[in-house]
Amino acid sequence: MKLRKPLLITGAALLASAGTVATAASDAQVSVKAMADALHLVMDSDRTIYTRKIVNRLVKKEKVIKASEHFEDDKALVLPAQMFRFGAELVQKRAEKLPDVNFSYSLQSLWPINKQNAPKTEAEKTGLKYVAENKGKNYYTTEELGGQKYFTAVYADTGVAPVCVACHNAHPDTPKKDFKLGDVMGGVVIRIPVES
Amino acid sequence: MVVATAAVPAAPSSPYTEFTDPHLVQGRALWLDTCEGCHGYGIAGAPIPMQPTEWAPRLRKPLPLLYRHAIEGFFGPDDTYMPPRGGNPELSDSQVRAAVDYMVALARHHINVTR
Repeated sequence: MKLRKPLLITGAALLASAGTVATAASDAQVSVKAMADALHLVMDSDRTIYTRKIVNRLVKKEKVIKASEHFEDDKALVLPAQMFRFGAELVQKRAEKLPDVNFSYSLQSLWPINKQNAPKTEAEKTGLKYVAENKGKNYYTTEELGGQKYFTAVYADTGVAPVCVACHNAHPDTPKKDFKLGDVMGGVVIRIPVES
Repeated sequence: MVVATAAVPAAPSSPYTEFTDPHLVQGRALWLDTCEGCHGYGIAGAPIPMQPTEWAPRLRKPLPLLYRHAIEGFFGPDDTYMPPRGGNPELSDSQVRAAVDYMVALARHHINVTR
């Protein structure tokens, strides 16, 4: 998926129209916002199915295995958030060998247990704050990093199971101990390079 | 027990209708504190009471069954998971029932408005 000819429009117009890219295989047009939304839909659906069909079913319903942050030591399933992170890391690694594929995603939080998962750019910080304060809404912007312009989208990541909330609240490294079920605990950041 | 009760406007932009029955006033407060985080947005497959198509089938179930699902927890047909007491173990049975009663009244209200 290369957004190689990305943008027929620039600057502020990019956000207004969400940009337009031509696919390599045809002249069909797709907006960069639609591309980010589609990527997030796939990620979120895969994670939801893992949570429901693997974790909920095997851990809570049939009680045949545990899910644990320390899954190797505990011989347990990886947590849904860990599965998501592993996917993001593998995509990044595999994409290095695919020059036509150029996007990245990550799971971040304003209250990270692991400080590496804190936002780094202003767009990430603003976006994570926005999705936490405006539940049900996404955040879209553009930013320039290292001379490259990016379309950056942030989607809320919500605590959907008591174990997510309880573990974060009780973790010794957590900066926030009062999460409730259904709270926005972080966000998925998707970044797609675009031409100015 | 859900009783017919008058609805009063909530905050202008709030979809969470207020009712005059004191039991539902209490239920609304409990629902907002514990349940709204998921049921207000459909998080983790939680049915949204403002969506008639999501709640009509549930309203055909006996109320004691809805109470039991909320108190004990419930696995949906697609392995969705409703945690016991909405994930708030501090709620008593009667408090959970009050929150369920409010959600049922809210769903019925939105179904009636849609009609």
